[in-house]
Amino acid sequence: MRPLALCLSLALVAGAAGAHDSADDHPGPAAADALPFALGGPFRLTDQHGRSRSEADPEGDLQLLFFGYANCPSICSAAMPMMAQTADLLAARGIGVTPVMITVDPARDTPAGMAEPLAELHPDFIGLTGSEDALRRAYDAFQVEHELVFEDPFDGPIYAHGSFVYLLDAAGAVLTLMPPVLTPERAAAIVAGYAERGA
Amino acid sequence: MKHRMLSAAVAAMMATPVLAAEGERVQITGEMIDTWCYYSGVMGGPDAVQGTAHHTCALWCSAGGIPVGLLAEDGTVYMVLKIEGDDGSAGGDTQLRLASHTITADGMLYTRDGINYIVVEDVVSDAGITNPNHEDFGPVPGFAIPDPNQ
Repeated sequence: MRPLALCLSLALVAGAAGAHDSADDHPGPAAADALPFALGGPFRLTDQHGRSRSEADPEGDLQLLFFGYANCPSICSAAMPMMAQTADLLAARGIGVTPVMITVDPARDTPAGMAEPLAELHPDFIGLTGSEDALRRAYDAFQVEHELVFEDPFDGPIYAHGSFVYLLDAAGAVLTLMPPVLTPERAAAIVAGYAERGA
Repeated sequence: MKHRMLSAAVAAMMATPVLAAEGERVQITGEMIDTWCYYSGVMGGPDAVQGTAHHTCALWCSAGGIPVGLLAEDGTVYMVLKIEGDDGSAGGDTQLRLASHTITADGMLYTRDGINYIVVEDVVSDAGITNPNHEDFGPVPGFAIPDPNQ
């Protein structure tokens, strides 16, 4: 996975420059079609501080939810910084958003194992893990598949996994999903659209 | 707290999960692309991150979880949510087999937040990789193909 890690690192250094078409060119508010399958549902997991957490945000904020792993060298290294930057952009506009990751690698993403890499991303980034059954409930609710691709001699187990970012309301209901390739500015515009619709 | 009031209002208004919808049946012809490199632009312009030039990187990115897209002939990008027989947006056997291929996809189009999403129900035709742009760009990026001497 070295080529991908390098590829993404370069992209991040360059700030994930603007997109070329509709995914970044429509600043408008939330819109339109629902999706052809149900997304979201209840779960109860444990965060990096050892606290129990459900799909609801205890602070009453919106949530950006992603499935990945804290030390992932591939898409997580693009999606999670984007989530952190989006949260900061929205905080500056008075919109509280908590970035949340549910691990697909519970063997490495213990509460203690997640704490440092997530803190480097954002002080409010929440990492969630749990028992196999508890995680399966969350994966199933969001139809997230993952599988071990191979063991990288540098980075350890490499997983393929679903990589969309879900916007949840404070109660944990899914408002929309977003591709992880959006810029933070574009993602923030989408989230703000939902927040403003509820204002 | 303003955040909580906003969130509570949103929750009250949209408390139900995102559920089924009709969508619009479409048939799109285009190339299956690596959306990260296409949108980030750091590997070069959009012409360089398609076709044979970018095929190896497209495989790496899809395997790493980056959603694949369908770049239509008119330049519109459709984010693939699922594709026939593969319940994911990246990394599956179908996504890897079709990377950089020009296909005609029949499926359902859903538009949210200005973004086009497609659930591909049937790959009507697969012309393979039809854009031999490595002749112009070489491999993009060069390090996508590991140097056996390193």
